[in-house]
Amino acid sequence: MTAATQAPARPAPRPARRSAALAAWRLLRIELRRSPMPLILPLIAALFWFDSYRPSASTPPMWVYRTFWNMGQGHAIIDFGPLVAGTAAWIGSRDGRRGTADLVTAAPRPRWPAQLASWAAAAAWAVGAYLVFVCVMFAVYAGQGVIGTPPWWWVAAGAAAVLAFSAAGFAVGAYWPSRFASPLAAFGAFLAMVMSSQIGFSHASGWALILPTNSNGNFQPDSGMLYPWLPDLPIARIMLLAGIALAVTGLLGLPAASGGAGLRRMAAVLTIAGLAAAGTAVGLAETARLGPHGMVIPALHDAASDRPYSYAPVCSHSAGIPVCLSPDYRSELAGVSAALAPVVSEVAGLPGAPVRAAQAAATYTSGEGQAGQPMTIAGQPPALRMPLGALGLPGAFGWTTSQAADQVRLLFAHAFVGAGNGAGTPAQQAVQAALLQGAGVPFSLQPEVLSLTGLPGWARASVRGQSARGPGPAAGPVYAAARRLAALPADARHAWLAGHLAALRSGRLSLGRLP
Amino acid sequence: MNVELTNLSRHFGRTRAVDGVSLRAGTGVFGLLGPNGAGKTSLLRMMATVLPPSAGKLELLGRDPRRYGPRREIRRRLGYLPQNLGYYPGFTVYDFVEYFALLKELPPRRVPGAVAAAIEQVGLGDRAKARLRTLSGGMLRRVGIAQAIVNDPDLLLLDEPTAGLDPEQRMAFRALLRDLGQRSTVVVSTHLVEDVGAACTEVALMDAGKIVFQGTPDALAAAGEGTGAAGDAPLERGYSAVLASARSGTPAGWGPPRPVAEEPRA
Amino acid sequence: MTATGLQSPPAGAAPARHPARPAGLARLAWLHAVSRRVPVALGLLAAFGVLLWAALYWRWNIAGGQAARMFIPLTVEAGPAAVISVTSYGPFREPERAAGRWLPWLRLTMTVLLIAAAAGALAAGAAGGRLAGGSLALLRNLAGFTGIGLLTATALGGAFGWAGPMAYLLVTEVALQGHPTTPWVWAGRPAADRGAAICACLVLAAGLAAITLRGPREALRE
Repeated sequence: MTAATQAPARPAPRPARRSAALAAWRLLRIELRRSPMPLILPLIAALFWFDSYRPSASTPPMWVYRTFWNMGQGHAIIDFGPLVAGTAAWIGSRDGRRGTADLVTAAPRPRWPAQLASWAAAAAWAVGAYLVFVCVMFAVYAGQGVIGTPPWWWVAAGAAAVLAFSAAGFAVGAYWPSRFASPLAAFGAFLAMVMSSQIGFSHASGWALILPTNSNGNFQPDSGMLYPWLPDLPIARIMLLAGIALAVTGLLGLPAASGGAGLRRMAAVLTIAGLAAAGTAVGLAETARLGPHGMVIPALHDAASDRPYSYAPVCSHSAGIPVCLSPDYRSELAGVSAALAPVVSEVAGLPGAPVRAAQAAATYTSGEGQAGQPMTIAGQPPALRMPLGALGLPGAFGWTTSQAADQVRLLFAHAFVGAGNGAGTPAQQAVQAALLQGAGVPFSLQPEVLSLTGLPGWARASVRGQSARGPGPAAGPVYAAARRLAALPADARHAWLAGHLAALRSGRLSLGRLP
Repeated sequence: MNVELTNLSRHFGRTRAVDGVSLRAGTGVFGLLGPNGAGKTSLLRMMATVLPPSAGKLELLGRDPRRYGPRREIRRRLGYLPQNLGYYPGFTVYDFVEYFALLKELPPRRVPGAVAAAIEQVGLGDRAKARLRTLSGGMLRRVGIAQAIVNDPDLLLLDEPTAGLDPEQRMAFRALLRDLGQRSTVVVSTHLVEDVGAACTEVALMDAGKIVFQGTPDALAAAGEGTGAAGDAPLERGYSAVLASARSGTPAGWGPPRPVAEEPRA
Repeated sequence: MTATGLQSPPAGAAPARHPARPAGLARLAWLHAVSRRVPVALGLLAAFGVLLWAALYWRWNIAGGQAARMFIPLTVEAGPAAVISVTSYGPFREPERAAGRWLPWLRLTMTVLLIAAAAGALAAGAAGGRLAGGSLALLRNLAGFTGIGLLTATALGGAFGWAGPMAYLLVTEVALQGHPTTPWVWAGRPAADRGAAICACLVLAAGLAAITLRGPREALRE
């Protein structure tokens, strides 16, 4: 050896105080600037417009309707999840694809923090884009005068879902740096979302409520308008999705090459914590029950969420009686008044006829779910209570204006004859049919009206001759009696009703006693 | 001594890529010559702590890299340029060198200065913001050198560092090596004997996993004199002669590898 | 290295043409396939067949109407298209492109073989199950998805070829709920619908032409 190579080595420099946070930020900044995730965002934006915004544009201008498809049924998540997962897999496989494994291994910084920086940048782009796209969509809604309040908790749940998909995709790529990692991650994410939708549709309770696309009982029409959005279920979903993200990122730190023993112990703790959070969320979902205003998870429920919003109603007198609605339903006031007017005219002056009509918050029972709430007449003087949030409104889910009006008339007449939450006695059904005939819903159309999807269960049950081709004709003894009653002169019919309403409502009047 | 290898071996299945190599190196430039498949890259990867040895003892910068803590300390003071340099095409030159500066746990406040200096040292100052995918092969190699020297390493391992460099750049690189060798241990694995002659103070020749020559470049050149070995320059003739001798088993005009225990003559 | 053994052609002579022998072509095709990880892709395609079988056999809960019954099988049919699209690119880049005339034929042959393998795997998986539309619809959907994947690979790079089929799958599933009439949403049309079949085949033909003649684009970023 020459003298030069035998010279003593330089003394090791005293280690400077390492600013771990600054170094982490610098790493993250590089990754943010150079992440490929933005490349996929234009395609996601196009899908978001097509799938999340476009179908909502034709729904009534209420937040609960506008966001039912994209937030309630999770289509915003479906637009992001698979493509984010596939791109994240591509990013996660970077060192394997690019042959930089040796370079990265020879560096002192453990591999896990370097991977986390890469993932964090990808997740930041994906979640940031999701929030931007949603906020832009919400801004458009606000500009269109959509009423109520946005479902911010559901937006947060969607962001957590995007985070989870990015983590899962990244892990797939990191563990399997193959060209097939991206397509399989994207496919897996898509399949998971489709399965979530399929399972969610048919499970209105139990663990399946935790699935990101399960809308059962979650998007009550009064949410955000008469009552606050219940945060219980979104909180549980955020816990599940964040737990998945945590567990998956912890998994990345478990291999021996990821770092020292201490770091890997931390990774193991994170993995366990994430799994625990996810498992707890599923358990909480099991305890969920359908409350008056949405899904309630007792362990997470805050009583403040049950307090209704106070408001000054807007009223119209065009129906012959005051009709008062929440200002959020102002756009429906004219239509509801017009629908009520002919029935009001039929029953005016009769015992129990309402002197006013007011909107009431829909309440839910486990049997009814969120649709098909009856109207009720109660109080002194009697008032008609209308749970508009649970009724079909023009433009919502295929309801036409005339169908919505016929629905209102039917429910009013049904409440007036005292049939309650059932089909009613034959005499009650006959009187109801006669009232509807007088209110402009001819007998021939009434079976069709009773068969409208979204009405309470008793409506369809009272239609005879239901088949795959539709309802049977308006025939039988009930309609025969109804025709006889409707054929009476108005004064005579009015007088008969005045004398027999008490017996009718109590169920003591038989069909044979109708004129 | 920054590098102390004692009977170091590495097997890949039945192939003995490195077979009982011993050497010691302190400050200076140490060249590693040898034909393809001699084991140079495997030896370098073991010294870079990315490949564990199958047998033998390895001590780097006074530490045993088998334990996590010392290995991490070694890596902080290590610079490594692999033979096949991977890179991220979307990164700029600055991004790439900064990224590895941060991975090497350089104090964050020192990073900008260190990165700028490293990029300047390899002559890419005017291309600092260029994306790596736009660079030529030679420029990429220089980026690789920059990331290797950004942390001013005590131990610098370079595998084929001049591949793709033009003659002018190669001359500049040799000057850089000589400068680095003043304060660090630089181990250069190369096919180019002229690089060894110009920059190295000590050279080892490997063949079939073993070191078959260890000494100064002058001694290597002298080993080829009068042997009729092939080569256009003295070092090349020495290279050919030593290899031929090693393969025939009959050493001619040179000494066998010195064992570690033997003290060097003054 | 010496020049011994090299024979120089006489001055002015035209270069000799050596017709490729079948064994050589087969070897070339095999090496090309290995470079594209085709053996792994074949394994994945078989797995998709098994997945389809499982979905039909266990009747993975299908809620909703006719459209909903198609969702899961349709998703499984898009998977092979995504896998085939990422086998379009290789690791060699310019040396391969400059090497000679066989590359387009190799790309075409590999792609067609993979499509056939995917069709066989999915058809086997669907055998005995009640797949909406039957095998005819399955082949049509696979053809269309794969065409989109190949076109995406040509435009965005082989590594991102999967994005096209996934995006189109989402578009299809949204459109299905609105009872589409356009044949470009071929999955929403009956199996015997000629227009839908033509559209799907046109897309496949365009994809095959693009990947054969142009090949996948070099990756946009990493």
